[in-house]
Amino acid sequence: MGGLQKKKYERGSVTNYITRNKARKKLRLSLPDFRRLCILKGIYPHEPKHKKKVNKGSTAPRTFYLIKDIRFLLHEPIVGKFRDYKVFVRKLKKAYGKTEWSAVERLRENKPTYKLDHIIKERYPSFIDALRDIDDALCMCFLFSTFARTGKCHVQTIQLCRRLTVEWMNYVVAARALRKVFISIKGIYYQAEVMGQLITWLVPYQFSHDHPTDVDYRVMATFTELYTTLLGFINFRLYHSLNLLYPPKLDSKAECELKEENEEDYALNSECYLEKLSALSASLARMVSSAEEEEAQLDQFPVEGEDMEKLEAREREQKEQEAQKKLFDGLKFFLNREVPRESLAFIIRCFGGEVSWDKSVCIGSTYEVTEETITHHIVDRPNASTQYINRYYIQPQWVYDCINAKIVLPVEDYFLGVTLPPHLSPFVEEKEGDYMPPEKVKIMALQRGEKPAQEQEDEEEEDEDEDEEEEEDDNDDEEEDEEEDEEESEEKNLKKMEKQRSQGKSLQVKVTPGKMKVENPERLEQEEKAEEKRLAIMMMKKKEKYLYDKIMFGKKRKIREVCFILLLIIDSHVDKTVCEAP
Amino acid sequence: MAAARRLKRVVASQPGFLNFKSSSESLSGRRKRVNKNKKKSWNKHSDINDVEEFLEDVRLQERTTGKGKTPRPLRIDLILQQDSLIPAPKDVLAYQQPNAKKLRRISQKAEQLAAKGVVTRRQKRLLSRRPVTKEAKKSDTEANNNPNRDYYDIWGQEPEDWYLQQTGKKRVKRPEKLSDRPSVLPAVEVIAPGGSYNPDFFSHQALLKEAHEVEVKKQKEEDKLERQLAVNKDDTATEETVIREQVEGLVEEEEEEEDEEEAAHDEEDEDAEGGSSLAKKKTERQRKREKADKIKELRRLDSKRQMDHRQQLFQLRSIKASIKQQEQSTEDKQKIRKANQEAEKSQPRRLGKLKFQAQDLEVQLSDELAGSLRQLKPEGSVLKDRFKSLQKRNLIEPRERAKFKRRHKLKYVEKRAFRAIT
Repeated sequence: MGGLQKKKYERGSVTNYITRNKARKKLRLSLPDFRRLCILKGIYPHEPKHKKKVNKGSTAPRTFYLIKDIRFLLHEPIVGKFRDYKVFVRKLKKAYGKTEWSAVERLRENKPTYKLDHIIKERYPSFIDALRDIDDALCMCFLFSTFARTGKCHVQTIQLCRRLTVEWMNYVVAARALRKVFISIKGIYYQAEVMGQLITWLVPYQFSHDHPTDVDYRVMATFTELYTTLLGFINFRLYHSLNLLYPPKLDSKAECELKEENEEDYALNSECYLEKLSALSASLARMVSSAEEEEAQLDQFPVEGEDMEKLEAREREQKEQEAQKKLFDGLKFFLNREVPRESLAFIIRCFGGEVSWDKSVCIGSTYEVTEETITHHIVDRPNASTQYINRYYIQPQWVYDCINAKIVLPVEDYFLGVTLPPHLSPFVEEKEGDYMPPEKVKIMALQRGEKPAQEQEDEEEEDEDEDEEEEEDDNDDEEEDEEEDEEESEEKNLKKMEKQRSQGKSLQVKVTPGKMKVENPERLEQEEKAEEKRLAIMMMKKKEKYLYDKIMFGKKRKIREVCFILLLIIDSHVDKTVCEAP
Repeated sequence: MAAARRLKRVVASQPGFLNFKSSSESLSGRRKRVNKNKKKSWNKHSDINDVEEFLEDVRLQERTTGKGKTPRPLRIDLILQQDSLIPAPKDVLAYQQPNAKKLRRISQKAEQLAAKGVVTRRQKRLLSRRPVTKEAKKSDTEANNNPNRDYYDIWGQEPEDWYLQQTGKKRVKRPEKLSDRPSVLPAVEVIAPGGSYNPDFFSHQALLKEAHEVEVKKQKEEDKLERQLAVNKDDTATEETVIREQVEGLVEEEEEEEDEEEAAHDEEDEDAEGGSSLAKKKTERQRKREKADKIKELRRLDSKRQMDHRQQLFQLRSIKASIKQQEQSTEDKQKIRKANQEAEKSQPRRLGKLKFQAQDLEVQLSDELAGSLRQLKPEGSVLKDRFKSLQKRNLIEPRERAKFKRRHKLKYVEKRAFRAIT
């Protein structure tokens, strides 16, 4: 016998995993250092399929890492830097304890630091890989830039985050890459398309801060360290792809415009430039300054296997995108004090508009309230004080809704004091049978180029709105009320349609030669199947029938609702044709 | 620093300047002797606060009045002023400099050179030695989070062999499994359309319904616990039942007990007899009978099996149906299992001691909805949301705030005063 017996837990999946504490001891690091290293290198714990096997028979909850990953970590140079830092802290503590202030100064000046560039290059070998991971980086950087500059986390990190976010926003403005915006109760969601990648990020509101206590700040700070490095390199590459100078400089012409006398009132000299950039009101300088070239018509190379339809569809899409990029071209906006300036300035500039604000709000305002060429003045109060004639006074939701609808919406619904239409989410893709809110239907109609709503439609929609308001009050009978009202309005509609039809059309009675009825075999099959189904339903047991009825009721209700909405559209069509005919 | 020290010495030597420290020290007398002849120990043990205060005061005066207002002239200075109208004789010796000509010549030459733009070797050395600007701390500029740090093109063309040439080693390869994402969830999940600041009615109701269902679930669990722990009021002990329990079997039931005992005895006797019969051996007859029984049994089973075989022919159809049903059920189970596995992938994995706690849905009730962007009150914290998102995507394990644990138990001791009272 002897040693040829197989021992348990020596081969198989056990040999692939290692517990967290063992890994830490192998690397000779403390636990926070180990965590930081894992975050920086992108090494995550794994849950093994058979926990009992890997845990050598016990089911205690443990964190497992793959052994290959830990062995890979042993070759990392910043592990040495962590150990140096530990030694530094020990020496510093000693000097503090002995009150040797000169030693403290000397040690502080030679504090060991590390750089993460090689890690970025290793984790993201190509630029597109980095772009795929940029969502997280953007969210973190925007979040940190809204933190207050107390000493809790390094002020340098917050400053760096602010710089990077401003650079990113300037890039998006220059590339006109923004596609969707959504104001939610959490924050503002943006989606941009950069080099074919759709990037979504969330910007918190500036004024919302209650720092929750159960968030681990060290972990977040480590992630931010990594992400700031990543975002910086990505910014560099993106700026170069657009032929812009990096670090960004304001266009010389724009800079002259922005030159003001009392710049010291706004910011320290060192921060003045960053503040001007963050105002987003001026364009950036290019590397090779040339006059704006006309966009050359790209040659159309049909992809293999693509028919004319797809080609046309692609062309149409491209044209739509081009049209969308110039949404606010030629429009001049002015922002009142109470509206969120940064968000609005960003999105207006992204679509080609010009924007300005009051001088006392922030640096970088290009024109004053009194300018006569202003087309839209964005106010959020119930009434505006002085009214200029040739400009629209509208609420800020108009801008966001225009961007999501990709057209310039009529301004009437957004005047001051008017109840705003609901702000719909552009991130929702509705399928065929789903419910579409009436506002969305209206917007789609506008997109297709139809004329704005007529009186009858307005009345019906007002009815609906009133009904909706009533329903919001009572929560219990909402469904019943809804159905009743819908039925009533449906009946009204039908009556109207009948009247119009009877007025408009005239009966055409003529004798025509008979047509042969072709028996469609497919139709016959379908009819047979329907018959069979009906028979099967009749033969079901009582219990089953009851369940079946319930399911069908739910489905029918959905279909009825959709039909009702479609009916509305048809109604509007009919109204128009009827009115245009005579 | 030398100049500052000199100035302090000058100020301290002013006649009107009281040195408080020296007087107090001489009065107190007994104080530990320290050596202040090295820089370190001098820095540690000397107190220059009074001097600093005075200087600060002077500077403040200068700042506020614009001109450096000297404090009121001392009386002794007034006395020592010269009142006479005859000027004092000029002290020629004081103005004499033995090497004035030499110095004049040197300065003229320096001016000529400066006008020409020539910098002498000596001047060059002096200039190069003196650091004019104070450099920013090296640790700050090289740190990773320096706000003015430079970025370069990291994905630019770099020859792979450069590292190999320089060091003769190949770089360690990163394991391929690390490039897999730990979760299929997207990095940023947009909130449902009911979470808009001005939502459409139906989507808002849908979101409220979701939140409502979560609450209902929580309530149900609490109710379940309550039910399990509920105690029936009738079962609680009253005095009567307590007394009855204690007295049970003691007072009136002795007769019954005796009867029971007798019955128990009889049973035991019978068992004893039954036990003796087991010791007898089996007779031949019995053995033969047993064998015959066994054979009969086997034959019976055999014939039954054959009958079953034959009948199965007629049962083919139902057998087929049952097989089909079994297959169907296994297929269904497979599908369900696969669907579960797919759903598992998007669930957060269990990576440590704590389970993942999903955060509450961010939703505003109908009366909290703001009519305009100005009146909007934000809900939820993006910081917490990001933290939970990182946990959900298996990037970090769920963590709780570390509790403060005492290593040694605290000992409470009464003060002497209290002990006297109580």
